[in-house]
Amino acid sequence: MISDAFIPAVSSLGAVALALGLIIHYVSKRFHVEEDPTVKLVNSILPGVNCGACGFPSCNQFAEVLVETRNNAMTCPVGGPDLAVKLGETLGMAMAEPKAQTAVVLCQGKNDVARRSAQYLGIQDCWAATQAFAGPKQCRYSCIGLGSCIAWCDFGAMRLENGLIVIDKNLCTGCAACIPVCPTGVLVMQDKKAARYFIACNSHDRGAATKKACDAGCTACQKCVKVCEDNAIVIEDFLARIIQEKCTACGKCIEVCPTKVNCIRLERDLNAVKQAS
Amino acid sequence: MPLPAELSIPLSQHLGKPAKPVVRMNDEVKKGQLVGEADGFISANVHASTSGKVRAIRPHPHPGGQYAMTVFITPDGKDEWAEGLNSAPVDWKGMSKEEILKKIRDAGVVGMGGAGFPTNVKLSPPPDKKIDTIILNGAECEPFLTADHRLMVESPEAVVAGLEIMASLFPGTLKLAIGIEANKPDAIDALQQYAVPKKIEVLALKTKYPQGAEKQLINAITGRNVGEGELPFDRGCIVQNIGTAVAVYDAVCRNRPLIERVVTVSGMEIARQKNISARIGTSFSDIIAFCGGMSEKTNQVISGGPMMGKAIFSLDVPVVKTTSGILFINNSALGKSRERACIRCGRCVEVCPQGLAPWLLANVAQLRQLEKIQLLGLANCTECGSCTYVCPSGRELVHWIKYAKALVSSRKQRKSA
Amino acid sequence: MPSVNLNVSYAPFVRTKDSIESVMYNVALALAPATIMSVWLFGMRALLVTLVCILSCIGFEWLMDTIRKKPASCLDGSALVTGLLLALNVPSNLPFWMLIIGSFIAIAAAKHVFGGLGYNIFNPALVARVFLLISFPAAMTSWPVPFAVDMETAASPLGILKTDGVAAAMKSLDLVNGFYGTMNGSMGETSTLALLAGAGWLFYKRYITFHIPLTMLGSVFLFTAIFHLIDPAAYAPPLFHMVTGGLILGTFFMATDMVTSPLSVRGQLIFGLGCGLLTAIIRLWGGYPEGVSFAILIMNGFVPLIDSWDLNDRKAIHQKKSVTT
Repeated sequence: MISDAFIPAVSSLGAVALALGLIIHYVSKRFHVEEDPTVKLVNSILPGVNCGACGFPSCNQFAEVLVETRNNAMTCPVGGPDLAVKLGETLGMAMAEPKAQTAVVLCQGKNDVARRSAQYLGIQDCWAATQAFAGPKQCRYSCIGLGSCIAWCDFGAMRLENGLIVIDKNLCTGCAACIPVCPTGVLVMQDKKAARYFIACNSHDRGAATKKACDAGCTACQKCVKVCEDNAIVIEDFLARIIQEKCTACGKCIEVCPTKVNCIRLERDLNAVKQAS
Repeated sequence: MPLPAELSIPLSQHLGKPAKPVVRMNDEVKKGQLVGEADGFISANVHASTSGKVRAIRPHPHPGGQYAMTVFITPDGKDEWAEGLNSAPVDWKGMSKEEILKKIRDAGVVGMGGAGFPTNVKLSPPPDKKIDTIILNGAECEPFLTADHRLMVESPEAVVAGLEIMASLFPGTLKLAIGIEANKPDAIDALQQYAVPKKIEVLALKTKYPQGAEKQLINAITGRNVGEGELPFDRGCIVQNIGTAVAVYDAVCRNRPLIERVVTVSGMEIARQKNISARIGTSFSDIIAFCGGMSEKTNQVISGGPMMGKAIFSLDVPVVKTTSGILFINNSALGKSRERACIRCGRCVEVCPQGLAPWLLANVAQLRQLEKIQLLGLANCTECGSCTYVCPSGRELVHWIKYAKALVSSRKQRKSA
Repeated sequence: MPSVNLNVSYAPFVRTKDSIESVMYNVALALAPATIMSVWLFGMRALLVTLVCILSCIGFEWLMDTIRKKPASCLDGSALVTGLLLALNVPSNLPFWMLIIGSFIAIAAAKHVFGGLGYNIFNPALVARVFLLISFPAAMTSWPVPFAVDMETAASPLGILKTDGVAAAMKSLDLVNGFYGTMNGSMGETSTLALLAGAGWLFYKRYITFHIPLTMLGSVFLFTAIFHLIDPAAYAPPLFHMVTGGLILGTFFMATDMVTSPLSVRGQLIFGLGCGLLTAIIRLWGGYPEGVSFAILIMNGFVPLIDSWDLNDRKAIHQKKSVTT
């Protein structure tokens, strides 16, 4: 009785499964595409995060184009110089070294420093906030502090700290995915260096207005410009800028900066420091 | 209302490029004198709304939510008109078309319903578009607002004259209509007196929201459908606001530039609700003082109507040409609200005047699928706010749609750059 | 001038007073007449069943929210409605442990596995009912007799129709009694009158529209009427189908469930039609005497398809317009 019910069911399902299995086997053999093993090899060396920093949508595509064109100018900013050497070894040619870059935040407007305007109670997203008004901080050039960029970072290098985005220099790979996401443009890319100074302010307001809105704002007071011996600081549109190539990181500017929280920031690249020591 | 201690006149009170400032600090200006000159085709002139001294020109909060270059004028109290302005009414029938258009342009007249599109541009459509209908929008754009209603009741002759002036710019006989919501019989009566002898139809429309939106109004009056990506003149129509018609009349017949407008001051938290004729540049705090102050329960001040207005972030923002109302409300839903899951009740689909699926647009916007959302008719959304209003889950549907629009346009800009 | 805190949010600044809670609690309120009726018909046991179902549904909702680390939604009313519907869908003598299993299936397997409120494809209460029906067919089809004191059970009119034919079924039931609800059946489905009163409230509050109920009832009526006219001896009259089984309960309270029905009007018409036809087909020729639950669940599965058809169709209209102008 039991076998009466089971045998036809099991055998018919088994037959269907067998037939389908044979078809799959045949199709996979018949339509097999030969893949260049070098592409596979290159692909295995690449970081595999598909961040798009190289200009290709995926690591695999980067590998395919690289193997096909053998263009040694192609770089993967995420992998850095180490990866370039490895890729060169694999392909038997000298690869250009990518500039190691990192994103920096041109704002220090944490909640205790930057004055707030109105309270924002809409969708908690920077772009959504800018559609409602100029931003929850009085300074309209500031980091809005709702962290839209965090979702775009594939490497977990960004976090919010007291209303300001903070970038972990160790985790940032310089893929630049976050740059276009910021509505106020406080994120920029900079070369990774052992130590460097930059003006961590984005306010193009006049000095008085900047000072009113934020304790860490650059008021374009000219003091740093005068003290800089390398002529590395210029003032453009009410905002100082340190020309990275000229800056020798002497630190004199930071001593004269009159703002309550220095608008000039010193940052040491931790990797480089580690290597040096 | 009395002359405020200071007027802050933004140079961007219209759609398009901000005006170029033509005065400098410490210049003496007269009432009605040009302070900002239209910069480019889609732009508009800006004028001083009293006589006085220019104190500064710098960025200042704008009721649109952003900062804009603003001319600050300290009044001298004399309120003197500049030469040749504010003349006795003249007959417009002798003027040429070019003359009328130039006068409208010089006076800086813009659409006063909300968008602020320069009127002279709207009145000179591409020559291949044949205009056969001009509609005046007397269907108040939003609930609470009564500014247009008061204008229709108090100066119907100016409204009708303004419409006639606009009609004279086009060849042939045009269908002229004034659409008014049926709940304003006094306005219909007042206008009928002047309009009927001039062969202008005064139509009572069903009272609903959004009746005052351009596309809905054209559909209600002519039965035509303005499709995706089309402008009213593609369908032979021009829609103008009541306030704009009066401004056109003032500009053409009385040589008065657009320097004041009717503003509805309303909401539960203001002492005296009323319609006031305010100078452009009067700050909201001056208006609050004039209307008896707002209560401590106020937690939102809104420029515009409750459905499409903007919550302002500073009381220093001035009245601009497009400020149709100021609302003082105690929004109890604030802070408590959180967006919850869509329960697919379908109300947003039901109410959407454009036949979109707002719930889906918002979902796709949240996922940032910008290609897909454009296929769903993102550009068709007029942001009327009906969907957010009815959503039982409290989803910010319009805000998400606006968010997607912002991302799409910023991506386009980056591509073209 | 008093200094005020200005708050910025996005327009519109006025919102409807409706919320998920108000929708759900109104549905629960609309089910109250049927619940009271079931207590009157089947005694205190019915009340206990209702309480067990509601409490276990709310409990499982809380459990799933906690496991999934979601904000607590156990009191938003949706679990209450699911529990209530489940209770009204089972016989009043069902053992409590079966009710708890049913609640678990409804909340965990039919709702939270798909993503919680708003994301479920199938109506949770119906999934639970069908699960119980398939797993415990005997317990789920021995219906208590109304006003019985000794837990007397009997087949439902539809069951008699299936096994003994039209004549026996018609003899077992006076249609007027069927309308008032004094017949054998699951707790909530017997009283057409009480259910219609509840549905009237939902229509009044505009939580449901007439599209789905009208097409669903209409198609069942027409379909059964045609076959009754062809052969009155083999097919029961349409009014018999109207008042028996879970048709009214299913039509007004489960087919119209917002989450699992189509969004557009024409989609709803198709959905109602499909539910009605499937119900009639299962009742006339299916293996089970009752087909409402299966019909609604099958059509639930088609809802995404109907919705995407509607959307693409609209898009095509938009595009055609812009091409022709």
